[in-house]
Amino acid sequence: MIQRGHKPAERDAPQTSDAELMQQLAAGQLGALGELYDRYQAGLRSFLGRATRDSHDVDDLLHATFLAAAKSAERYDGRSSCRPWLVGIAAQLLRRRRQTLGRLVAVLASLKDIQPSATDPSPTLHARTDVDRALARLSQPKRLTLLMAEVEGLTCAEIAEALAVPIGTVWTRLHAARRELRQALDAERSGKP
Amino acid sequence: MKARAAELACPRLFEVEALRDGRLTGTEVTRFQSHARTCPICAQEMQSITELAEALRSTATPPKADELRVRRERTRLLAAFDASLAPIPGSSRTKLWLAAVAALTVVAMLAWRLRPSRTAAPVVASPNSVQVQAATTTKWSRRAENQLETITLEAGTLSIRVDHQRPHRRLLVMLPDGELEDVGTTFSVSAAAAHTTQVTVQDGSVILRLRDLPALTLRAGDSWSPARAPAPDTAASVLVPPQPPLPSVHSANPARASVPSSSNAAAPAGNNSDSATDFRAAMSAFTSGDNARASSLFAAFLGQHPRDSHAEDAAYLRVLTLQRAGNAGDMKQAATEYLARYPHGFRYAEVEPLSH
Repeated sequence: MIQRGHKPAERDAPQTSDAELMQQLAAGQLGALGELYDRYQAGLRSFLGRATRDSHDVDDLLHATFLAAAKSAERYDGRSSCRPWLVGIAAQLLRRRRQTLGRLVAVLASLKDIQPSATDPSPTLHARTDVDRALARLSQPKRLTLLMAEVEGLTCAEIAEALAVPIGTVWTRLHAARRELRQALDAERSGKP
Repeated sequence: MKARAAELACPRLFEVEALRDGRLTGTEVTRFQSHARTCPICAQEMQSITELAEALRSTATPPKADELRVRRERTRLLAAFDASLAPIPGSSRTKLWLAAVAALTVVAMLAWRLRPSRTAAPVVASPNSVQVQAATTTKWSRRAENQLETITLEAGTLSIRVDHQRPHRRLLVMLPDGELEDVGTTFSVSAAAAHTTQVTVQDGSVILRLRDLPALTLRAGDSWSPARAPAPDTAASVLVPPQPPLPSVHSANPARASVPSSSNAAAPAGNNSDSATDFRAAMSAFTSGDNARASSLFAAFLGQHPRDSHAEDAAYLRVLTLQRAGNAGDMKQAATEYLARYPHGFRYAEVEPLSH
């Protein structure tokens, strides 16, 4: 009986390195994309889930991340793990999505003559714990930077490269994100809005 | 306020974050670490930032996607990538030719659609290229979203026809215990008591994915139904954990079928038992890492049980074991055989590169 929880190839096959997989992907090999998906979909799903809190968005963003990775595989720099690179692509897509949503919200707000919120409203809708709610109060750039550093374990240099911002911006965002998160947590725990 | 007071209390407090973010180098790290050992304010700040990070890591992630959803998304991704690799027709002459063919196709479709109907079947809903017939007692619903049409069957029987000559969305039939994906077909599907009880394909093919069972491709003339669990044996049930029943696939085409072409849901017990034993033996060799033996056993399984529900898995695992055994020639041959046999197989995308 096949145990479907783990694919056989994941269990005990000598693994092809990420760099080799990316080379195969750049050559248009579908199997390499399947292998890459098997390796990283769960981790990326968690990252996107924390960043968006919307399961419908997560599926679409995950799909778009791997597709974008496949299309730019030939530009992969050959590092041993492509996880930071994939997280970076996912973060870029999140940023673009926010910009698109932001433009839409601005247009709608101008029609209704109301002030659009600086933060993405969707994470708040799905936040469950006080940390979730406090995290949702951060602007998306700060939230993404903080998650990439503290949860995904990316270095500041990797985050800067992934988000295409100067490293000083990453440091500033991290500092501000920690400060705001602590303040938001204090407010959550003391029952203030 | 508290932070401001702390900053006044220790001018080096900012170095806590600098250390964490990798802004300190070489001796700066060593010096600050020795300072933090003697400064309770900096030590507390370090602890506070660490706790903040732990709190972030412990935030609930969305519910883990179930296996079927992951497999479906994986298939969707590979199909999208595959489509992106397809060459785009270039010359205007080719475009003109394609337009002419498209126009002819539209005319032919219109003629076909306008022909007098010979049957009085109760078509319940046909707003697009998917026609669904359902008995009045069938519990079902349909939903279209973006490029996906989902039909959910709770109980009863549906007969579905997908007209692939017309623009259409991907069609998924959600079953109580799995799902069924259309690959261009006319088929019927039944469910009862939270289980799929019958799938019959009249034209084209479908991929049936049920929980805890391998994906199964059913083609025109095939009929699937779950095998009934063997009658409980009191003595045996104490000693041996019950095995899940193996499904059976029957083909209406005698030339393709190796099992009797019966509509009875249960296949002969002897056949099932043999195929299950053979498959387990091959899997045992596979999991123990004896790839040469596993590939032989999978090949033997395919020879003896070509229509078994595990046949596609066996064909794929044979390719995998030959690859692991370093037998490139036989692996290519096995991959080619898999592709020929399962042109819509679940592992097609993975096997295809290995056939070259």
